[in-house]
Amino acid sequence: MSDHDLDGSRHRRTSTDPARTGAIPRAGTFECLRCGLTVTRLGPDGDVRNHCPSCLHSQHVEDHVRGGPAECRGRMSPIAIAVLRNDDWMVIHRCTRCDELTSSPVCRDDNQLILMRMAVRPLAQPPFPLEVFADL
Amino acid sequence: MPRRRTPDGGRRPQRRKSVLHGPGGEGGDAFRCVGCRLEVPLAAPGTAHRNHCPHCLTSRHVDRRVPGDRAADCGGRMAALSMTVRSNGEWLLIHQCVTCGELSANRIAGDDNALALMRLAMRPLADGKLPVRALLTL
Ligand SMILES: [Zn+2]
Ligand SMILES: [Zn+2]
Ligand SMILES: [Zn+2]
Ligand SMILES: [Zn+2]
Repeated sequence: MSDHDLDGSRHRRTSTDPARTGAIPRAGTFECLRCGLTVTRLGPDGDVRNHCPSCLHSQHVEDHVRGGPAECRGRMSPIAIAVLRNDDWMVIHRCTRCDELTSSPVCRDDNQLILMRMAVRPLAQPPFPLEVFADL
Repeated sequence: MPRRRTPDGGRRPQRRKSVLHGPGGEGGDAFRCVGCRLEVPLAAPGTAHRNHCPHCLTSRHVDRRVPGDRAADCGGRMAALSMTVRSNGEWLLIHQCVTCGELSANRIAGDDNALALMRLAMRPLADGKLPVRALLTL
């Protein structure tokens, strides 16, 4: 499914060979499935990253229903931003292979342009005329 | 186990679902919203079956991986978390279960509260964290 693909790719695309060790690493680097960027697992604030800061794509490596590693390993597209009650921001990802949804915290160095494009997309295509709000 | 992709590019057909009745799957043509206690008719314009409250957008965690499979024993309240858009422009509500954290994406219905939908869609922009002004100059 490419409907949520946002072309934030600025890096050469390389072949990927994801390690199938089962354990989800907390250190080192991973290569982005979409744009090929080599991404350090630790973000600028010492938090563990699971999406690429350049194109915000991720990989389905964790089973969020059963817990532990997922067999899918499909590419996950960013589809939405969620603002939590504590004002933390999350990126919602959907797996392009199995449709599973996950959320992960926005990192300080995540691509602001792509975040903004995701934020304004629903408003560019409202399901009702926005004039209904004129009187509110 | 990853789900099989459907031939139309991964989009499952809309199934009959009855996600908001009691946990035993009892029938009836209305349900009581677990968010705002509104009595809501199950029939909804524009969808095969209603899966969230048209007033407060709250849903209930009854399905597990496949919508309509009624496999989840959680039964938790699913709060409307975020809005996304399909390639055809259709808005999808993202719900998250407040009990177990599970996420689901659900089509909006024709009689969903427009102000509630709009508030949810506006949330990232109203927050002030994004340089929206910079975007408007692009
Ligand atoms: Zn990337
Ligand atoms: Zn997957
Ligand atoms: Zn309600
Ligand atoms: Zn739940």
